[in-house]
Amino acid sequence: MQRAVELIINSVLLAGLYATMAYGLGLIYGVLRVVNLAHGGVIMAGAYAGYWLHVEFGIDPYVSLLPVAAVAFFFGVLMYRGLVHRLPRGAAGGVQSLLLLFGVWLILRNVAYLLFTGNDQTLRTSYSTRAVALAGELVSVNRMAVFGVAVLSLAVLHVLLTRTYVGKAIRAVAQNPDSCTLVGIPVERIYSLTFGLGTALAAMAGLLGATLFPFNPSFGSGELLKSFVVVVLGGLGSVAGTGIAALILAAAEVLPTAVPGFPTYLTAAVGFVLLVLVLVLRPGGLFGQRVLG
Amino acid sequence: MQYKRLILILAALAACKQSSQQTEQKPASEPGAAQQAAAPSGDVVSIGATLPLTGAESRTGGFYKEGYDLAFEEANKNGGIDVGGKKMQVKLTLLDDTSAQATAASLADRLINSDKVNFLLGTYATNLVEAQSVVAEQNQIPYVNGGGAATAIYKRGYKWVFGLLAPVELLAESIMNWLDSEQAAGHIPKPATIALLWENTSHGKDFRKGVTEHADKTKTYTVAVDESFELSGKDFSALLGKVKAADADLFLADAHLPDYITMQRQYVTAGLCHKVTSYGARGSEKQAVDALGKKNVEYIVSAVWWAPQLAEKNPEAKKFVDLFKAKYNGRVPEWYQALGYETARALFVAISQAGSLDREAVRQKLAAMKVPSLVPGGTLEFPAQFGQQIHAPFVVMQNMPDGSAPIIAPADSATAKGIAPDPNCGKK
Repeated sequence: MQRAVELIINSVLLAGLYATMAYGLGLIYGVLRVVNLAHGGVIMAGAYAGYWLHVEFGIDPYVSLLPVAAVAFFFGVLMYRGLVHRLPRGAAGGVQSLLLLFGVWLILRNVAYLLFTGNDQTLRTSYSTRAVALAGELVSVNRMAVFGVAVLSLAVLHVLLTRTYVGKAIRAVAQNPDSCTLVGIPVERIYSLTFGLGTALAAMAGLLGATLFPFNPSFGSGELLKSFVVVVLGGLGSVAGTGIAALILAAAEVLPTAVPGFPTYLTAAVGFVLLVLVLVLRPGGLFGQRVLG
Repeated sequence: MQYKRLILILAALAACKQSSQQTEQKPASEPGAAQQAAAPSGDVVSIGATLPLTGAESRTGGFYKEGYDLAFEEANKNGGIDVGGKKMQVKLTLLDDTSAQATAASLADRLINSDKVNFLLGTYATNLVEAQSVVAEQNQIPYVNGGGAATAIYKRGYKWVFGLLAPVELLAESIMNWLDSEQAAGHIPKPATIALLWENTSHGKDFRKGVTEHADKTKTYTVAVDESFELSGKDFSALLGKVKAADADLFLADAHLPDYITMQRQYVTAGLCHKVTSYGARGSEKQAVDALGKKNVEYIVSAVWWAPQLAEKNPEAKKFVDLFKAKYNGRVPEWYQALGYETARALFVAISQAGSLDREAVRQKLAAMKVPSLVPGGTLEFPAQFGQQIHAPFVVMQNMPDGSAPIIAPADSATAKGIAPDPNCGKK
């Protein structure tokens, strides 16, 4: 029984991490139909930003979440206005945007090599190894904080998309940008806003990840792949679906370890098997294809 | 329709991820750029080598270069090495193999057939040595390396390849031998249960083999958990849950530095504590202490190929440490520089013993070599039964509360007594 509780807690906490990594990617794809390959690079940049603020100025990583997100937002807006904006949207711009954003990723990675070298870095705080008892299990304070930020981000995103004018405009643009132009919604501005938001969420995910694992300039590659799995499982463009998909992926990775004889190193493959199954059996994602919210 | 495109994108992404890893290995300078050109002449012994000076292994490659540089400088200080009664300078032609297997092999070929070097020193990392040693064997040129540990390199029946890195099975064996002594002293239970975690690589598999074979042989250990994990893992909580459920006496893992840091952080957070904890070769690194805090790495046991503390008991190690500190502004060497230095020195000794630059004569001297050395155990030899791979013991170290990491085994190299069971268990 205690083992079951432990597995459930592990799944839920891991889901929090996966969800934070995937929100940004899902949002940008849902609205712009652009696969943001720079997502991995921004995750890495967010990790280094938090590390730098902590090492140089002693700022707690959770305090630096907001400033890092703000800078990343403007970086995202600039990236959209300067680069992505120039590409054809949707299927027509698929390959170009893929190559362009992959290039941005490589630039970010090499800048990190230049500034911080290729050595692994770790963000250590006074509570890095602190734990609290939860249902008889010791749970890392850090992991719980990451989960808390994930839930909060989900709630804020949901409210933003469903209760505010900007959010409604984002959803409308995601559905039909041409009609939005006709009714006076500034489509380009919504696009740059969404790209900025997605980038900010990716940077936050990177910073949160940095509180848990060592990282180097290659950080973000594996995270990007996991994000893809979550976004596709949840249904492209579904924010709530992203959260639930993150939970499913985490459970699919954690629960089999309870099966005697199950080789633990295969857990990484479970997510990708799930991805293939969903694409073949339910290509719209587990929760169907919704348009945000 | 868009999902079909997404499948294509995912495939492209996987390819991109691969290519991005290769991009990391792109040379900062032109591959093969000679660090020190040398044409063979009558008074010069020309030795060729490649090292990963750029790319993924550049940090370690740089350390090996320091070892090579020191060895060549020392050899040339007194007019060179003695070859058949004549003093000859040794010249190193060092090329950058950019951490790439194919480059390492092609540059070895260039060194032999274009630069006409007399002998070869090896590069670093098992996969590069594996590729390069084939070229050396084909060209029948003595090839001494301090960077390839996998036993697979030495199981091919090669005559011209000599290795100074002892196999990883011995790493596990060294830790297990120390555990035997702790069992004999009644510090840990007999029989003891082991929770064994190993990375799913040849390194991890060799470690597992070492532990399980020792357990089978001595019958004083039971492996309660035997699980592998992927390199650069992010979440070990499920795995550590299994370890917790098994309630084993000893926790033995084999991990690279980032995985050691991540796993030990989750281990401490989960409230785990074993009578003995080890992460194989990892334990006392400054980076890990910084990342985890001194308290959280206390009493961790590790085993490495060489440690500067050996200088306290081994005169060859002391000589090397003194020379290294003098050349590199008081910096304390790590095992990489020591192995680099000793690799070059082994070749110099063989050339001197052969008294000529004849490849076969030098090969025979290497095969029969038995000289005092800085390696643990104090003797350098390349036993034929192990395919000419050194079988020197590892030094077992333990992190102490004062921040030091003394050698606790083998007995002839030990600078302190090991502590078991972990006094912190029950306190944390």
